[in-house]
Amino acid sequence: MSLPATGSHDAIPSTTLHSVACPFCGMLCDDLVVDVTAVPQVRANGCARSHALFSVLPKNDVTPQVDGKSTTLDQAIARAAEILTAAAQPVLLSAGTDVGGMRTLLELAERTGGVVDHVNSDAALRNLRVLQDTGWVSTTLTEVRNRCDLLIVAGSEVGTRFPRFFERCIENAESMFDGGKREIVFLGTPPAGFESKHAVSVMQVAPRQLGDVFAALRCLLARRKLRATEIAGVALPGLAELLARMQSARYGVLTWAAAELNFPHAELAIQSACELVQQLNEKSRFAVLPLAGNDGDLTTVQAATWQTGYPLRVSFGGGVPAFDPLHFRAERLIARSEADALLFVNAFDPDRTPPASGTPTILLGRPGMSSERATVFIPLATPGLHHAGHLFRADNVVAIRVRQIADSPWPSAATALRRILEALGARS
Amino acid sequence: MIRLKGGRVFDPVHGIDGEVRDVYIEDGRIVATPGAEIRIEREYDVTGRVVMAGAIDLHTHIGGGKVNLARAMLPEDHRNTEVARTALTRSGSGHAALSTLTAGYRYAEMGYTSCFEPAILPVNARHAHMEMGDTPIVDKGGYAMLGSDDFLLRMMAGGASQKAINDYVAWTLHATQCIGIKVVNPGGINAFKFNARKLDLDEPAPHYRVTPRAIVTTLTRALHELGVPHPLHVHASNLGVPGNIETTLATMDAAEGRPIHLTHIQFHSYGTEGERKFSSGAARVAEAVDRQRNVSIDVGQIMFGQTVTASGDTMAQYRNSAHAQPNKWVCMDIECDAGCGVVPFRYRDSSFVNALQWAIGLELFLRMRDPWRVFLTTDHPNGAPFTSYPHLIRLLMDKSFRNEKLAAIHPDVAAHSELAGLDREYSLYEIAIMTRAGPARILGLDDRGHLGIGAAADLTVYRESADREAMFSTPEYVFKDGELVARDGRIVKVTRGATHVVRPEFDRSIEKSLKDYFSRYHTIAFDNFAIDADELIDCGSRTALEHPCGTRENA
Repeated sequence: MSLPATGSHDAIPSTTLHSVACPFCGMLCDDLVVDVTAVPQVRANGCARSHALFSVLPKNDVTPQVDGKSTTLDQAIARAAEILTAAAQPVLLSAGTDVGGMRTLLELAERTGGVVDHVNSDAALRNLRVLQDTGWVSTTLTEVRNRCDLLIVAGSEVGTRFPRFFERCIENAESMFDGGKREIVFLGTPPAGFESKHAVSVMQVAPRQLGDVFAALRCLLARRKLRATEIAGVALPGLAELLARMQSARYGVLTWAAAELNFPHAELAIQSACELVQQLNEKSRFAVLPLAGNDGDLTTVQAATWQTGYPLRVSFGGGVPAFDPLHFRAERLIARSEADALLFVNAFDPDRTPPASGTPTILLGRPGMSSERATVFIPLATPGLHHAGHLFRADNVVAIRVRQIADSPWPSAATALRRILEALGARS
Repeated sequence: MIRLKGGRVFDPVHGIDGEVRDVYIEDGRIVATPGAEIRIEREYDVTGRVVMAGAIDLHTHIGGGKVNLARAMLPEDHRNTEVARTALTRSGSGHAALSTLTAGYRYAEMGYTSCFEPAILPVNARHAHMEMGDTPIVDKGGYAMLGSDDFLLRMMAGGASQKAINDYVAWTLHATQCIGIKVVNPGGINAFKFNARKLDLDEPAPHYRVTPRAIVTTLTRALHELGVPHPLHVHASNLGVPGNIETTLATMDAAEGRPIHLTHIQFHSYGTEGERKFSSGAARVAEAVDRQRNVSIDVGQIMFGQTVTASGDTMAQYRNSAHAQPNKWVCMDIECDAGCGVVPFRYRDSSFVNALQWAIGLELFLRMRDPWRVFLTTDHPNGAPFTSYPHLIRLLMDKSFRNEKLAAIHPDVAAHSELAGLDREYSLYEIAIMTRAGPARILGLDDRGHLGIGAAADLTVYRESADREAMFSTPEYVFKDGELVARDGRIVKVTRGATHVVRPEFDRSIEKSLKDYFSRYHTIAFDNFAIDADELIDCGSRTALEHPCGTRENA
């Protein structure tokens, strides 16, 4: 292996690196082969997303800005601190940072009485609210890779949101226990061009009808009579057969991407799925795999939870951490003018820009992203490209160490936020 | 130089039992009485006060995946327990699943200076070290979990040599930056993935046909041969099951005379006598531990009230999920490594079972003759939050207080337990053994847990009080590495703790088979698995404190 020492800021020669971890989606695949040249190029084990985001052109002409004009980093930091000092209720919204960035963001929010949120919180909370009401029996990627003999995919976007999930966890060449025979059932549409060496069946269920399907399966499991002859377009015998397969699986897994389930009260469908799986475990083994982690959302939730006790959304406005998934929604606070400053952090995907806001906006972002809405723009280095850092993977257990493979003139989110914190001055 | 003047010193390592002595501190260490020419920069008059080394909690779930799941699952645990930031300290919250920052402050305020997270899944070690890095002031250490990981079970099923297993154990300690190895329900977490709902000590596990006894024997031997100071830290099979005392006694035998630590043994000391088929096995367990000098225990006392149980033992946690209160729970299979289960629980003094559990724990403490081999724990937060330690100390030191409490719980317990007849009251000296000297010795922390020359200046100064709960709740002074960090139960300085580790020597050729295993079966690259010393600092540790292996005399 030829990885440079972590945290090294020495010039890195043009070279090919192996076992590179990709920070750009929740899978955090760490088997990438990357050519490190002026613009890093993913040479093997990439996906469309990693190819694009490893190779975002470094805009050498990018500078920090205040009110649309180029300025120094010091000036931009000072202006950001002024805005936050003047704000009564700033919103600190992440669209992607690592643990280090999040630790400092939380401290900054605490100092300024701010509200902390992530752009993916609506999706994350669909799972979290079920955790807080029911819980679940869950599993992780390596267990799936080695044990899963029946995979049920709820929805149609697991493959697009987590591009290498099937390749790495289902279509793997070797596994320890499943005997190489798997079944995949889509409750939705398989990804475009999906090919599998396993038996695949498809039940066309719209996301909004998933809750009905899980409720019906629970009824059947409890041996209750169902008067309907079909549920969500699936005839009852088809559901009964699906349930029988779930009951006879040695290690079944039910997965979804909460971000796809974007309809009112989708958490109830997820709850139904989780209760179904809890009940299946009375006799046999089955587990859910709630996939998330894109844009550092699970990283944000994990760090907020251990520092404050609460997952998002958290406000420090009352001097102590307070949790309210509805009230402290950043978009709501901005739309109702309850926020009077917005700090937006995004070190990963330049396409994720801050929401329109009538407030002063501090944007800490990847060089190359649009800064037109920003009062202050501070370019950031990216964890996994320009500095080492930690990110939490899609299954919410594994933290991956991403490494530095290239140089950047710009600070990490942790460094930039720390400097803002230090510039706040004497405000208590 | 600092002088603590005129305190009553309790330092069991040096046989000092309440003698009035001055203690001198310089550069974070305890130093000898200086000559007259040395200037004392700061003097604390602690006349009449009790002076002990900083307390050490050798089994407390303070950081890592399952604790954070418990926090996220239980906003009700945090509501109305929030703590505001001060000029010095950060905000936080929590009763049973405290936020990391709050946990660090509370431990320091109570006079604790070192805490050990006892269940670190190797694959979750980064996360655990990050949480411990955000747990201020106290030093931390962790025990890496082995015994249900597929790599070890494959080795054992394939007849790997003890030497190869030793190499794997040593590699794990290096890769996870831990100080010890824990086994949780040996083989049982793995067996649960194959749908086994119980696994007795001599029952071959599904798929591998390896017995829990063989796992315990192999791992105790590995640690012994590697010279790791802390013995295998064992959460035995059949946790919580009436009649599990037989398993517990047999697990001691599985060590074959080598050092073994049985943790939260209260949960493993149950008989099946009486009309409810649930009885105390404390007398037999305490007798067996006292007799076998290779065995040490911590108790895992329960206290009445709301808490949350967080454990690697998915098999037991699934079994207990029916008792979840509030009614929500998580079980998780993790990375062919182990698992975790989080089940909120309320211990009720009106429940015969819970009340007897309370009595069994106290009986174990009071029956153990050798205080050097029994340690004060509640298996935080599984038996109760660590903040209940002062109350527990009062129960141990104050017989009339204890019997008052016994009279107030389920009336049948007094009849089914010999607790009321146990007259013992722990002395301050014995408390100092059980919370300082003993844990330091069993962990191999040569410069902690005592006040000898050269020891780290982790010290706690208590005001004497007949109310031992009040006394131990708010020490007057707490010093960490020579700095005053807490005064009268309030933090006065925030420092970063270090991380205790061991790094036994091993044959690196084991990495070849690990690399092969990772590339075939894992979703993490072998090259990215291990945590190196620099990364430990990035996680938030001040520094690694490495303790030697193999050279230590057997305690």
